[in-house]
Amino acid sequence: MLLILETIDLNGIGSLYALSNRLNLNDVLPNKITIWKLRNNNPLRKSYINHNIKIEEFDALIKITVEMSRYLYPFIKKILQSKEDSKMNSVIWCDFHNRFRELIYERFNINSIRVKKLLNQTENDEIIIKSLLILSLCISNEGYKKLKNFLLDF
Amino acid sequence: MLQNRLSFHQSSVSLEIIGLPDHSNNEDKDQISIISDWKLNIIDKPLIEGKIDHLAQIMYAFYTYSNLLITNETPIYESNLIDIKADNLYIHNVVLKSSKPDVKPLIIKIGNSLLSDIINCFDQLNESSKVRIKKSGFFNNIPKKVRFPLTSKVKFLNIFLPPIISICSIVLFSSTLIYLYNPLENKEKNELIIPR
Repeated sequence: MLLILETIDLNGIGSLYALSNRLNLNDVLPNKITIWKLRNNNPLRKSYINHNIKIEEFDALIKITVEMSRYLYPFIKKILQSKEDSKMNSVIWCDFHNRFRELIYERFNINSIRVKKLLNQTENDEIIIKSLLILSLCISNEGYKKLKNFLLDF
Repeated sequence: MLQNRLSFHQSSVSLEIIGLPDHSNNEDKDQISIISDWKLNIIDKPLIEGKIDHLAQIMYAFYTYSNLLITNETPIYESNLIDIKADNLYIHNVVLKSSKPDVKPLIIKIGNSLLSDIINCFDQLNESSKVRIKKSGFFNNIPKKVRFPLTSKVKFLNIFLPPIISICSIVLFSSTLIYLYNPLENKEKNELIIPR
């Protein structure tokens, strides 16, 4: 999810940190390095560290994800639309898709089978669309609870 | 009496709720508790309107369908008022059936972007303090699995897992002790040491 938001927002890490300040999450996420360390709990990453993420940290990451998708909603919607009408707006989808792949190559362990699945064209499209849809459905005031439920159900 | 109107907007979708406050509950003038009409306006699509019962059913259908879509289950929702099916990953077919006879069903094709707009409009309505929807019928019948699938699973595990683990560990521990300590053998040994 965060990687998708980062694909849309070129200054993703900076925005995540700014949002954590705005949401008064400084106690849990005091700096960019903490956010980076938490994101390294993802086993697909090259720099994966098993750090046993705490519940407050998990909640904080969900809160900033929801807040960021709220800001990026118009862009998320445009990307979803571009895939619905591929003839008209294929440039938007291609740009998004290429940047997403670049970020995967840069950050993820491409030898992993799960990452290879992510790079596979057909499966990749489905994963991206579903992730964008989840993000777009969680922009309401109760979005935090919704996203938490979606993630726990995955 | 002048009716209250409240609108909820999300990009290309707007939802208008028309109704009255419930004066018997001393509600504010701008509150809506008795919904008489509602209109769902989607840009470039026909206007959808109806009574409160229809709104509840349609909201339930969209929420259930979006949950199915995300949780990898076959995304199909069918009822006597509305059917929603996926054409493919990007386009969804909404069929609205009229309760009046001789009226052909209305078929609308919506993409993921419109689907999220519609659901966000419904979210705004649910979260609004100015509209009170009586969730008597459909919302209480939402299957628990659709509402909070894993939360309930986690709660179930939290309740039953600790006692099960403790009972298993006690049984394991006591069975090993029983294996180590054989009272019959001990008795025989004692008999050997002190012959009668």
